[in-house]
Amino acid sequence: MGLQRFILKRLLLIPPILFGVSIVTFALVHLTPGDPVSQMVAMNPNVDAAQEAELRARYGLDDPLVVQYVDWMAGVLQGDFGEVYGSSQDAAGVLVARLPETIALGLFGWVFALVIAIPTGIYAAVKKDQLGDTVSRFLALSGISIPNFWLGLMLILLFPLTLGGWPVLPPRESLASPAMLWYLVLPGITVGTASAAAIMRVMRTSMAEELNKEYVTAARAKGLPERTIILKHVLRNSLISVVTLAATLTAGIVAGSVVVEVVFSWPGLGREFVDAIHGREINLIMAITLFIGLFIVIMNLVADVLYAMLDPRIRYD
Amino acid sequence: MVHSGKESQPTIPRRRLLQGLGAAGAVSIAGCFGDDGDEVSFPLQVTFEVDADQADRVEWTQLIAQLWENTGYFEVDVQTHASDDYTNRIFDPAYPENGYVAFLGLSGTYNPESFVDALHGTANQGQCCNVNGLGYDELDEMIDQARFSTDVVEDDALRRERYDEIWPEVQEYAGSSIIHFVEDVWIHSTDVHGFEPTPFVETSLSYALHSPQDEVVTWLDENNTSGETDLSDLQEGGTLHYGLDANIDSFDPPYSLDVRSTFAQELLFEQLVATDFEGNLYPWLAERWEVLDVNDIDRSAYEDYMESVPVEDGAIATDEQVLLQHPEDSPGEDDEVRVLTPETVDDAIDDGVFGMQIRYDLHEGIEFHDGEEFTAENVVLTMERYYNSQLEAQTFDSLLHAVAVDEYTVDLYAQVPDAEAERELPGLYIHSSAQAELPGGDLDPREGTDPVGTGPYVFEEFEDESYYVVTKNDDYWLEDLGLDALEWWDGPEEFPAGPVIDEIDVDIVPEDSTRSGALQTGELHVTEGVPMDDLDDYEADDDFVVNTVTTGLYQFLQYPVQVEPFDDERLRQAVNHLIPREQIVDEIINGYGQPAWVMLPEFARETGSADYDALVEELREYNEFDEERAIELIEEVIEDRGYESSV
Repeated sequence: MGLQRFILKRLLLIPPILFGVSIVTFALVHLTPGDPVSQMVAMNPNVDAAQEAELRARYGLDDPLVVQYVDWMAGVLQGDFGEVYGSSQDAAGVLVARLPETIALGLFGWVFALVIAIPTGIYAAVKKDQLGDTVSRFLALSGISIPNFWLGLMLILLFPLTLGGWPVLPPRESLASPAMLWYLVLPGITVGTASAAAIMRVMRTSMAEELNKEYVTAARAKGLPERTIILKHVLRNSLISVVTLAATLTAGIVAGSVVVEVVFSWPGLGREFVDAIHGREINLIMAITLFIGLFIVIMNLVADVLYAMLDPRIRYD
Repeated sequence: MVHSGKESQPTIPRRRLLQGLGAAGAVSIAGCFGDDGDEVSFPLQVTFEVDADQADRVEWTQLIAQLWENTGYFEVDVQTHASDDYTNRIFDPAYPENGYVAFLGLSGTYNPESFVDALHGTANQGQCCNVNGLGYDELDEMIDQARFSTDVVEDDALRRERYDEIWPEVQEYAGSSIIHFVEDVWIHSTDVHGFEPTPFVETSLSYALHSPQDEVVTWLDENNTSGETDLSDLQEGGTLHYGLDANIDSFDPPYSLDVRSTFAQELLFEQLVATDFEGNLYPWLAERWEVLDVNDIDRSAYEDYMESVPVEDGAIATDEQVLLQHPEDSPGEDDEVRVLTPETVDDAIDDGVFGMQIRYDLHEGIEFHDGEEFTAENVVLTMERYYNSQLEAQTFDSLLHAVAVDEYTVDLYAQVPDAEAERELPGLYIHSSAQAELPGGDLDPREGTDPVGTGPYVFEEFEDESYYVVTKNDDYWLEDLGLDALEWWDGPEEFPAGPVIDEIDVDIVPEDSTRSGALQTGELHVTEGVPMDDLDDYEADDDFVVNTVTTGLYQFLQYPVQVEPFDDERLRQAVNHLIPREQIVDEIINGYGQPAWVMLPEFARETGSADYDALVEELREYNEFDEERAIELIEEVIEDRGYESSV
């Protein structure tokens, strides 16, 4: 019962959190100079001041900020995130259209992170304080420290430009086609590297901790093979913290893909977000921010729930 | 609903607005002089204002500030502003009274007026782009006389002579200093042959693919990378991969304002006339044209055909297309204004009230991509689709009406005698009948309509923000009719009657470095706008050709001519000598530009001057860096005006 109440409580907290996010974002967007109309008419000498005012009035951009916010919120509550200025598309439609690309990239990065991090983490824990451990820890520290845009640029320089084999331009194939896997490799590695490093470090620490526990000594005393001890008993226990971290990092992967998508010209949500900011596309900025906010809140909740399910000793109030 | 009458704001061109304001406007501007109580003293405190987002511009602004200060006569404060903020600031009608020196960039065309009127036409003040509020009636009149008078309409040489009088006049007046003309840098692999860009990025690809007017044609040949080829080596077929730096926002010609949209449309749509590299006009969809009639009238001649419409919030409130407005009325001051609308324009023309009548005989046998035959009716329907569109202001700046005479003859009428009419009036991308009916903005694959034109390529596929593909039109009219159908054609026999590349595949890649990378991996054949740092590598690389072309984009600074001591033209001439044009081009923009020795760029030499080289020779000395001369002039101003000076 405790868990259900906990989830319910957390779910109820989502609307106020998103409300706060929306207010802060809305205010920040309006604090920056310029608006969609000034972007539209910039350097277009054929638009005079009266026309500009007319455009502003049409989009309601000349209303007081509070009125604009209330109008926007009223729309959102009815599922209308507003239009993208100067086009016939609506913000929610753009978000939905771009989302699959970002999910594919994030998923690839996430799988890459786990596939790299878990075996390396186990290896490092088992070989604690030996050369292999030191090397993998060094790599992990590098992975966390390297900014992902730089890593992306270096990968582009190394693979497509120097060694060849990879295209520089973004894919045209549908996401479902097998060729996409090839396209996903470089941006996927870029997105996943920092997470891989973080997970690997947690994996190593918790595994090393578990290895010192008495049940391991008992198992060894029983004469169980080391392999069985590690893979069957220790791994399962050490995975608890990794699973929760991986859930939290998933949210970070989506947010972090903003930069990577620009570097790789990946046609996803992140690139759209950057374009929206440049174009002062308020509705689109708000929709994407809210989506990322919602995603982070939910993934954090998932992490907490998983934690509780994996470790029955944990209780919530 | 999307494009209701609300959009049709009074986009009467500024020039005419001023005529409406009349003397009152000029007097109030003149009244600004000397209102400022502060005593002028040297060293003079000056503020430069510049767009912070333009790194190059900020750099030379600082250089110029330094050189001004070096004379000892100025203390310069350089203020940078974020882009939109800056635009809003400088287009404020009150800006000229601040006394700031503003740094800007602007794009001109083959119409020489675009290099003088934008900066110096008084009516552009507070709108575009004259931010110093010139009230120089004499110059306004000269600009008008070089375009809107019957004698220049009939005598092209006279028109050039008129411009040759304008350039020294503007130079002497020195209300602004044009620093340099920007060069576009195109890079293509050696697989590409014959590629010649134009001064305008939006027409460069369509022009390069096939332009008999300059005997330009582009083809692909992987096996010949020597870089030296001629028509006899021409290869047909292949797919040209082109890297475009931003999304195509619209395929709907009257509902798009940006260069990428025009770039995309240029491959599909055609106009009645075509332009060569120097801006000369050639009949295209039209077999020939002829100016039938020129009437010496001004816009008040339409008075009897005008209706009064109310003004709301300083804007004309009508759903009709306003073709022109009575020159004595002003939406800023009157409650209603008299305007001419399409409803009564036929009556005016029937009564012989029009500025010019130009008759276009159309080629027979031209088909749209959907099979419809192109006739005079398409021209009329196309014009009507420009009503109340985003391009209404520039279209109906000069165009009065289009009338189909018979199936293959159409008359275009100009509002007043206009030396630019032959260039301006036929500037419509001709629509098919079906698509001419579409609501504004709907002629777009995103809205479910694939664009259909008469052009050499047919729309194939477009993925928003990703790619755009066109394929060769198998029934291209010019290939069917043959080049001999063009009366003016006298080129070599082997020149093809249409483009020879089968498919154009445009990748939309906003990141400059990614586009540059794709060029190096061979994923792209041609692109424009790669990072400046890469250019030297491309220059040195035998696998690539770097092609530069001077564009209509010019960088300039404007002086606050209403504020002392900048109201003295000798001071403005003096500081003009403190701008190191050559140094800026060589050192700040790495040579990718042309110093502006005159206000007219090289590519408009044919349209804007009778003898361009003589003009450059005459005016160059005014624009040379010359500190000594500058100080001489400043001392003269100080002495004559009795300014204090501690220099």
